[in-house]
Amino acid sequence: MRNKRNAAIAGIVSLVVMTICLWLIVRNIGDPAMPLNTLAPAGKQNWEIFNLVKPVFFIAGLVFLAVEAGVIWMAVRFKRNKDDVDGVGEPTQTHGNTTLEIGWTLVPALVLAILAVFNVKTVLEIEKSENPIEVRVIGQQWWWEYRYDTNNDGTVDIITATQVVVPVGRDVKMKLQSNDVIHSFWIPAINGKLDAVPGRTHTLIMTADKPGIYQGQCTEYCGLSHGVMRMELKALPPAEFDKWVDAMTSVPDQPTDPKAIAGQELFVSQCARCHQVDGLTPESSPPFKYSKLPDPEYGQTVDSTLTSKNAPNLTHLMMRQTFAGSLLPLYQGKAAESVTAVPDGVPDRSNLKDWLRDPESVKPMNPENNQGMPNLQLSETQIDQLVAYLVTLK
Amino acid sequence: MALVEDHPPLELGSGAATVSKPLGVFARPTATHGWKSWLFTVDHKKIGIMYGVAAFFFLLVGGSEALLIRTQLAVPGAKLLSADVYNQVFTMHGVTMIFLAVMPMQSAFANYLLPLQIGARDVAFPRMNALSLWIWLSGAIFFNTSWFLGGGANGGWFNYAPNSGVTFSPGHGIDFYAVGLIIMGIGSTVSAINLTVTVLNMRSPGMTLMRMPVFTWMAFVTQVLLVFALPVITVALFLLMFDRLFDATFFDASKGGDPFLWQNLFWIFGHPEVYIMILPSFGIVSEIIPVFSRKPIFGYPFMVGSGIAIGFMGWGVWAHHMFASGIGTLSVLAFSLATMFIAVPTGVKILNWMATMYGGRIRLSTPMLFSIGLVAMFTIGGLSGVTHAFAPADAQQTDTYYIVAHFHYVLFGGALLGLFGGMYFWWPKMFGHFLNEKMGKWNFWIMLVGFNLTFGPMHILGLQGMMRRTYTYTEGQGFNFWNLIATIGAFTIAVSLILFMVNVALSYRRHKANPVDPGPDPWDARSPEWMIPSPAPEHNFDELPVVEEVDEFWHRKYGHDENGRLVRIARTEDVVQKGDATDVHLPSPSYWPLVMACGFPFVGYGLIFNYWWLVPGVLLIILGIFGWVFEPSTDPSAGHHHDDDYPTDDRPDAVDGSEDAPTDAEAGDGEVDGSSDDADERTLEPAMASTEETTVG
Repeated sequence: MRNKRNAAIAGIVSLVVMTICLWLIVRNIGDPAMPLNTLAPAGKQNWEIFNLVKPVFFIAGLVFLAVEAGVIWMAVRFKRNKDDVDGVGEPTQTHGNTTLEIGWTLVPALVLAILAVFNVKTVLEIEKSENPIEVRVIGQQWWWEYRYDTNNDGTVDIITATQVVVPVGRDVKMKLQSNDVIHSFWIPAINGKLDAVPGRTHTLIMTADKPGIYQGQCTEYCGLSHGVMRMELKALPPAEFDKWVDAMTSVPDQPTDPKAIAGQELFVSQCARCHQVDGLTPESSPPFKYSKLPDPEYGQTVDSTLTSKNAPNLTHLMMRQTFAGSLLPLYQGKAAESVTAVPDGVPDRSNLKDWLRDPESVKPMNPENNQGMPNLQLSETQIDQLVAYLVTLK
Repeated sequence: MALVEDHPPLELGSGAATVSKPLGVFARPTATHGWKSWLFTVDHKKIGIMYGVAAFFFLLVGGSEALLIRTQLAVPGAKLLSADVYNQVFTMHGVTMIFLAVMPMQSAFANYLLPLQIGARDVAFPRMNALSLWIWLSGAIFFNTSWFLGGGANGGWFNYAPNSGVTFSPGHGIDFYAVGLIIMGIGSTVSAINLTVTVLNMRSPGMTLMRMPVFTWMAFVTQVLLVFALPVITVALFLLMFDRLFDATFFDASKGGDPFLWQNLFWIFGHPEVYIMILPSFGIVSEIIPVFSRKPIFGYPFMVGSGIAIGFMGWGVWAHHMFASGIGTLSVLAFSLATMFIAVPTGVKILNWMATMYGGRIRLSTPMLFSIGLVAMFTIGGLSGVTHAFAPADAQQTDTYYIVAHFHYVLFGGALLGLFGGMYFWWPKMFGHFLNEKMGKWNFWIMLVGFNLTFGPMHILGLQGMMRRTYTYTEGQGFNFWNLIATIGAFTIAVSLILFMVNVALSYRRHKANPVDPGPDPWDARSPEWMIPSPAPEHNFDELPVVEEVDEFWHRKYGHDENGRLVRIARTEDVVQKGDATDVHLPSPSYWPLVMACGFPFVGYGLIFNYWWLVPGVLLIILGIFGWVFEPSTDPSAGHHHDDDYPTDDRPDAVDGSEDAPTDAEAGDGEVDGSSDDADERTLEPAMASTEETTVG
């Protein structure tokens, strides 16, 4: 039988080729150098998920190989020969085989039932937390705000944006909320994603294994700039984390450089309507008054026309390493990626200047509809002064 | 099923026409050739072909949008499309492919084939059939005019609230989405009811439910799903429309609304929708594989049963689209487990198709290649589906390109490959000539390669964290290589589509130059549509086939020997019909479905731009209803040879029991009169001439 031999060859060759292809892909798929890789766990929850999907992918891979090679084998094995005549030596007319069919209904069901146990176990496991610290995570078009109550006195004492900082090894309970549309908070290395939905608070547990900066991406379509709505999670060793908290809860120094002082005045007249620097209020409100605490209602009580009622709190801007929804680095070179409590390096002024010159050209926004930052038509001198002020905010 | 044998075939109602020159209303159109015969037709075959042509056009539109997407994503940081335009393009691509390409293409097959496969002369309500085509088409065109009226919808096909609200999406795109889909939904609902009734009531004598061809079964399940699913999305769209146009707050959390209301409604529709898109293609390959393997479908009851099971279970898994929405642990667990087990009936189908091929004598003609392609490719989509039935895995995978890969393997590798197989398979039946086989094979292989190049890499991209609905990505994210491959794949698919069109054009020209009749049964097939000439005559069957078993037509040609091997018992020429009957009553064409459908876009523009546009829209709809109700039946003097409808004595293959048919039919005449759309009927040729005189104007 020519067909038999060809079919065996075709089946085996396809099996080998597909196995090699799968292996080539699987070999490098968990590359930890890829910032968003879901298969390079660095957190307790993603390890749970990873250990769940490994056998699932393995079984799915086997079924894939069996079906594909089987189909190819059959197509060759039972191919009609040129010299076959219709009506002569026609195939046996099998109408079915109930035992077989019940079998291949029950066997997959059984396999799935076994896997279901692990599924349930993992779902429950990744929702557990022990002695967590809580961070309120607020999504808005198109950046994330984080609020901490580090001394557990019921008031917010740190408000920051873009980069959320957590201690390594400690469960972090993220309380997800949204100020405008639905967003999804996702740091793939640590855990799966969860939506931030207006009017609701969702809880996501994240526990980082080791220090590092882990990238994330909003994964629920949230309008114009969704594609570049990014965030970062910086996991610091506990001692470093405490240092970070100290720095974040201290009052920043007043600028001394005349250029920066001019920048501060500009900030109050141009930026403070939407952006908060703790203690600075817009011109129309009472004059400068420093308080240690950020105002969580900022923007909603001040003259803000933004749909999300808020723009990032800039009190400790330079404590973060990126800005503009984590799109651009605030520091030059490696300093933008250093895993330290207080970033140390040369500020990337050109990025800040580009942003102030024309924010829309850096990141798609729609200020005409009060979504995102408008172009304030600043002069180059004004931009210089503002940047001189901003880089002092640490 | 007693239901069937006792029931008269509805389409033979005599149509008690009493008025030949009615006052104040138009007579019915009479054209049998040219564009008028298409615009005013109520023939399910012409309607099916028009569905197909329009759907293919929109497939090209959606495909062009896909090429724009892929070109933008070919390299990091591309500037071909702005974020704004990109968001419109991917939204329009999704909506177009689902509602304007895949669904109507399946309507094309369902319309064309259901009556033929159940041995009927038309659908239950022929004018409503035309109405559903034109309403759908008017909605589809309306929806696409948004490109020229301020930009397309930009909220994603799922269009989650509150981003879909006016506050966040102030343009008109989403208004067009809401109103356009409502309009198309009317058409689809009408069509689904029509086809459901057709299958339940119009099967030919002996065609019990469990003797129906598998395609009919799957298309029938689809129609039932549509009947129940479309109202849900329509409700959701109405709420959205009220939010946007009349300041309602159904989805506004700050005013007591709930964004989850939209999500739940959308996916309660959206998940059955997945099966609405895939089941007809399952039906198509369940027809093709047995024909080209020369074996009956393996486990007919299991195939039917698993289709029904998928249809039922499809209602209980919608929240697996919401695992990351924050629906709560218990809901996640319940829907996660339900979703895992929906893989079982789907797996049964795959294995049964393979078992059908096993031991067969397989002809690898183009339709069979596409069908094997479906089995192979859909398996991948099914397996990746199982991997994100696991809720924790889904929390990583959802809204990434892994999902994009998954549903394209289901909808392209499943639905679309099946549809292309169906086109190659039924082309001779529809148009009286083959598509070129050699080009068809090239078409298949190029499409298969392009498809895998495009969507295969997306699995990797998704697992490596590339999110969906992103207009760009940056250098350091590691997405460059596979995105470039995917883009190359997309253009390869485009080549295969062009090849298909060239094939259609060349095959037609060759046929015109040198007509070769493919005969009624070019593939040595099994179901009743192959018993009649190609292309199918207007009246379908000279006499309705009396059905005794599954694959009736096959069993009229072949029997078994003692070893269960095939033996031919009759020549095909002797068991097919000639298609030359002239005394068959057929429903008359009508102007009014088209008139009525033309009103809907005006209503849409009125709602969105200026209420004055409502006036012509509503007037057209009222005019359409008025004309529809008062339109004359056909000329009573045209010959109604009732007694000839069921020739009883000249059936060469008449079998015991078939004698019952004519009695049934005649008994049924009285009941049917006036009870359905086709009370207005007339004979074919003679009536044409005589009604012309009555045409007003």
